[in-house]
Amino acid sequence: MKLISAQNISYKINEKMLFHNLSLEVCSGQGLHIKGGNGSGKSTLLKILLKITSVSKGLIEYKNQDLKISYLGHKNAIKNYLTPAQNLQLLFEDVSLTNAFGWLEKLDLYQVQDELTANLSFGQQKKLALIRVLAKSSELIVLDEPFVGLDKAASELLNSFFLQKLSEGTGLILTSHIQPSVECQVVKLDKTNV
Amino acid sequence: MFRLIKIESSKLFYKLKSWLGPMLIMILVLTAFPLSIDISQFDLEKFYFSIIVVSLLMTSFLATEGMFEEDFEDGSLEQEYLVEQDFYKVVLSKIFVYVCFIGVPIAFIGAIFSFANGVAIGNFINVFVSLSLSNLLLFNLFAFGNALSINKGAMLGVLTTLPLALPVIILLGTAIRSIQYGNGFLEIISLMIGMGFLISAIMPLIISTTLKTHID
Amino acid sequence: MISVIIHKFSSPKSFVQITKTLYPLFIFTGLFMLIIGWTWGLLFAPPDAVQGNSYRIIFLHVPAVIFAELIYFFMALCALMHIVWRVRLAAYLIKSAAPIGAMITFIGLFSGSIWGIPTWGTWWQWDARITSTLILFIMYLGILTLHGSFSNLEKSDRLMSILVVIGVVNIPIIKKSVDWWSTLHQPASISVSGGSSIDPSMLYPLIISVIGLGFTLISLGILTSRSYILGREKNKKWVLDHV
Repeated sequence: MKLISAQNISYKINEKMLFHNLSLEVCSGQGLHIKGGNGSGKSTLLKILLKITSVSKGLIEYKNQDLKISYLGHKNAIKNYLTPAQNLQLLFEDVSLTNAFGWLEKLDLYQVQDELTANLSFGQQKKLALIRVLAKSSELIVLDEPFVGLDKAASELLNSFFLQKLSEGTGLILTSHIQPSVECQVVKLDKTNV
Repeated sequence: MFRLIKIESSKLFYKLKSWLGPMLIMILVLTAFPLSIDISQFDLEKFYFSIIVVSLLMTSFLATEGMFEEDFEDGSLEQEYLVEQDFYKVVLSKIFVYVCFIGVPIAFIGAIFSFANGVAIGNFINVFVSLSLSNLLLFNLFAFGNALSINKGAMLGVLTTLPLALPVIILLGTAIRSIQYGNGFLEIISLMIGMGFLISAIMPLIISTTLKTHID
Repeated sequence: MISVIIHKFSSPKSFVQITKTLYPLFIFTGLFMLIIGWTWGLLFAPPDAVQGNSYRIIFLHVPAVIFAELIYFFMALCALMHIVWRVRLAAYLIKSAAPIGAMITFIGLFSGSIWGIPTWGTWWQWDARITSTLILFIMYLGILTLHGSFSNLEKSDRLMSILVVIGVVNIPIIKKSVDWWSTLHQPASISVSGGSSIDPSMLYPLIISVIGLGFTLISLGILTSRSYILGREKNKKWVLDHV
């Protein structure tokens, strides 16, 4: 089942073409790994697929209008004047909140849950931000460089999370310089797309 | 909508400087002014209101600073967009929360001070209502300014929207004069209420377009 | 349907081509009428009964403040076109009109100040109309700064348009401010409907200089917008063909 498909999309910024006539699709249970050098437009492509950024040309279609997507970009979207626990309380309710606190424990953040997020290390903040995706049930997961800043244990946890979600039929789109252990189709962004 | 109001109010609650700062400054200006000039109580009463108006302008300016900046910087805006597909509700609830928790208390402080400086006690409600309403208008305008220059320090945008605050100041001035002279208050206040409804409905629409342009 | 027509006539390419032929015509008419209007006004029109000769600055002041508002109005129309139909040319025109608007508003304020010294005895007064014209001036500067502060030019085009449209509320305030405040400023002397309170011997040179200044400003606008458009679209094929 097709979750998302992009047909012949082009994007230009200040009259400079970033990519041209790019087509891709992700079905449920399938992963997509977007590769490319710095400044090749990986993050922009993710935002385009999320319909945050509008394309210059082309079409993006979702399976249905209210496709449930969870996303984490290179910005963490957590409040650093709140504690991790308070941050999660803002994001989740009821059952998913318990689930989120479960992840807090698994990711080794339980001891620091009442400290200010601003005082946590970069990796800890990244892990906290990832809980937004981990504890939410969704049909499509979109991640921008999820492995950056994570230690070995957390990376393995993330990889096994991907594996489990893919087997459950969730779609996965990610950009990463680190090869994820799950099997993905690969899209490469470079000069040939232009 | 209720979820958003809950989120915004708890975020604001923990940002002490955002809501306590403007109130302290309001109190500070209103007390410092009579101290700083040597003037009789009679003369002071004549123009104390303009001090209140100016400090109202200043504090609402301060209170709305960084209203959307933080959410933009840390990526929360993008996340909200994914959930809501639109910023209208986000903006509406944010302005609502800011007006309730900063705007109205500031108006209350202003009203108390005006009453200490020669306004009849029966007029307290009138002064309070007109100050609150002009705060509602000002917050909407400055929120727009904030949204305009979100990634360049919100000050620039607020300065560019400052001219738009002029009509609000005129209106507030007229309202206060009508309170002082005891006629025509009802017309002015209904005009302000009407404008308040209009702006609260339209401004979030404009602001959400602006925000959408920014995350684009 | 409308958008098709608008897009057909609003391509930067056709604008540059059309204005190339119109420009000499406009600049000639503008300067010619300005010279006539000003010589007539400054040398031949009779002195004012009350103000003597000092009133003659209206031949600069009045056209200037008229265009201070008209240019903003024009920018607002362009901004609407840009927001609704995404017309690129409209954004370019706003960007090139704003400095001209700022300049003419400044001239209006400055000439008003000079006029204020002999008539009111002061060169600045926090009167409603002066203040709101000053605000219009700040508005122009704000628009320019806002546009200059983003790296993504398409984004700044759109944000600028939004600001311009919102700023339109200032125009009726300037218009009506004379009635709302008790003020030193005289109410409008010239009205379209009723008879004017100004003598024809002063009115005609005034009208001529208004029209003359209008054409001059349009040709100035053509000059700046052409160079701006060519700069913005320098990667397009038609620009390379044109230059």
